[in-house]
Amino acid sequence: MELSLDRLTKHYGSKIAVDHVSADLKPGVYGLLGANGAGKTTLMRMLCAILESTSGEVLFDGEEVTAMGAAYRDLLGYLPQDFGYYPNYTAEEFLRYIAALKGLPREKARKKTRALLEMTGLSHAARKKLKTFSGGMKQRVGIAQALLNDPKILILDEPTAGLDPKERVRFRNLIADYAENRIVILSTHIVSDIEAIADKVFLMKKGKFILEGTVPELILHAQNKIWELSVPQKEFRRWQDTVTVANLRHEGSQVILRIVSDTKPAEAAVPCRATLEDLYLYYFGKENSYD
Amino acid sequence: MTDLIRLEHKKLWSRRSTKISVLLCFLYVVVIVNILCFQWFSFGSSGDHTSSFGNHFDGYTMIRDSKEYSRTFGGELTDETLQRMVKEYQDMAAADLDREQQLTDRPKIDSWLEQLYPELRDNSTYYTMITYADPEKLTGFYERRTQALEDFLEISEQTGAERAYLLQMEEKVEKPFSYEFLEGWSNILTSMTAELGTVMALFLAVVLSPLFSGEWRDNTSPLLLTTRYGWEKIARAKIITGLLFTTELFLLLAAGGLIAQSFYLGWSGWDMPIQMIKLIAVAPMNMLQAEIYEYGFTLLGALGYTGIILLISAAVKNNMFALIFSLAAVYLPPVISRYLPYGLQKALDLLPLVGSPTDIFRTNTFCLFGKYIWSPYLLITVPILIGLLCAPFAVRKWSRRMKK
Repeated sequence: MELSLDRLTKHYGSKIAVDHVSADLKPGVYGLLGANGAGKTTLMRMLCAILESTSGEVLFDGEEVTAMGAAYRDLLGYLPQDFGYYPNYTAEEFLRYIAALKGLPREKARKKTRALLEMTGLSHAARKKLKTFSGGMKQRVGIAQALLNDPKILILDEPTAGLDPKERVRFRNLIADYAENRIVILSTHIVSDIEAIADKVFLMKKGKFILEGTVPELILHAQNKIWELSVPQKEFRRWQDTVTVANLRHEGSQVILRIVSDTKPAEAAVPCRATLEDLYLYYFGKENSYD
Repeated sequence: MTDLIRLEHKKLWSRRSTKISVLLCFLYVVVIVNILCFQWFSFGSSGDHTSSFGNHFDGYTMIRDSKEYSRTFGGELTDETLQRMVKEYQDMAAADLDREQQLTDRPKIDSWLEQLYPELRDNSTYYTMITYADPEKLTGFYERRTQALEDFLEISEQTGAERAYLLQMEEKVEKPFSYEFLEGWSNILTSMTAELGTVMALFLAVVLSPLFSGEWRDNTSPLLLTTRYGWEKIARAKIITGLLFTTELFLLLAAGGLIAQSFYLGWSGWDMPIQMIKLIAVAPMNMLQAEIYEYGFTLLGALGYTGIILLISAAVKNNMFALIFSLAAVYLPPVISRYLPYGLQKALDLLPLVGSPTDIFRTNTFCLFGKYIWSPYLLITVPILIGLLCAPFAVRKWSRRMKK
């Protein structure tokens, strides 16, 4: 089983959202990291065959996915970012509705719905209307609907948004279990989620994959670019304005800064071990947000 | 598919706007148009004679008494019964028997006299003819009716094959006409049932216009598009749900109306010809057949209109625009119609719920390939065909929009 992206490109007028992106995805978990407007959602929508590419193609086992039509959608589970739901449906009704659209027979849909509600910890709220759900509960319903048809390809856009830490751990375990013999692609602004479960990470900027590899491979790119520096409280603001500060902590009258920089920022700075978050800041630190 | 239709149907009914719309529609049609009309402002006895809102709340009793009075004329309308009706009314007026006068079918009898006996009209008085026409001179009712019909066709320039076609229809009308209390059936056929479609249209537009367009507000398209049957199956389910809802609303209103009718008016007089309501009507139909036609017209028109609403809803992404365009589809044609040539006016009447079921009282025809067709035949069939034609376009339109 292989999902291939072949020079996939999407233009919106003169704006290039996705620019000649290529990759071969085999079973495993793939993380997509990038700032706002990097093209992640556009790319995911093209992978789902709900958005036509300007050029290039997505192939599943060598076959163009838009040409596969319903056969491809059968293999697909998708959780869109800010997914829409029907506020007056109960969780159970919503899942039964999506199950019907996915072509599940009635009895199978009933069983699968119950199992997924159990799996996402929503059994107690199965008959409550979605409009009464918290953000995290809605997100779990979204994850459940994506899994209804046991998809071979699972595409999750910001799946952990709104989940509390305990729910995130549960979700990560669920995905890690699920990914065996399946292709899971997820984008999230929570770097630690990707760090924990992604077999391979794509760093996306201005519509292109600027880096790809396993988490340790990627972290190597940030090696020797992460520094720790102790500065007096009164100098802290000046440092924050001039360099990318990944983290800070107060120690007495001093502030310990974790700085992302190509060069040693000060004589007293000491190099330290990089993380995926450091790498992210290295590439997107100057941008406003990193989702 | 049944599961999907069930859930789509539940989704529609679970919306607050649906529940409020159905409740308001039911209250208006059944309570105001039917019950209050029967009991109070149409059939209640006149109180201060200034308006029907000054009527007494005694419609139920008045209808019963009117029916009993009408039966004293032996169930047939002949020259003799017409003369008796007029004479008895004049005697009541002379004796100042106000309540008794209200039990007669005065408005209808007056309209017959105005139309068939114009030479008896006294232009120097504002009184209606029934109060002064000499009963002895009210003869030749059916001959005069035939003449009035022929004159009307002449004035309307309905000649040749069209005239022959209409007169051939008229020949099948049985004479003499049977007679019972008329005002009740007249109200039902020219007002209550006849206007049901116009009222339904408003509420159908409110409830059904967001059926497709609402999906954009709910932001569900990315989710639906990635399912096996996403856009097509759901579109079919929505169309079936829309038609189902329309049928349910119709049945609810029709049941309410029929129960009110049974309670207040009963069914006697069902076999009177519709010519008793409009003398120069040509259709050989009785009251019951006319009521069935009007209900059929409303249901089929409403289903046709549903098709149009769903097409509009599938074509636009905004709920408000979908509502405005849907309302325009039914309420705009009658407004612009008066500025159009007669042929186009008639064509507009074929749009769902734009024409009127009261065409059964008229001599309107359509000429198709040189053959004349009485307008009600087309008015009842074309709207549903338009609606059915809209359905596949709605599916296609929605599928295309979703993919953009």
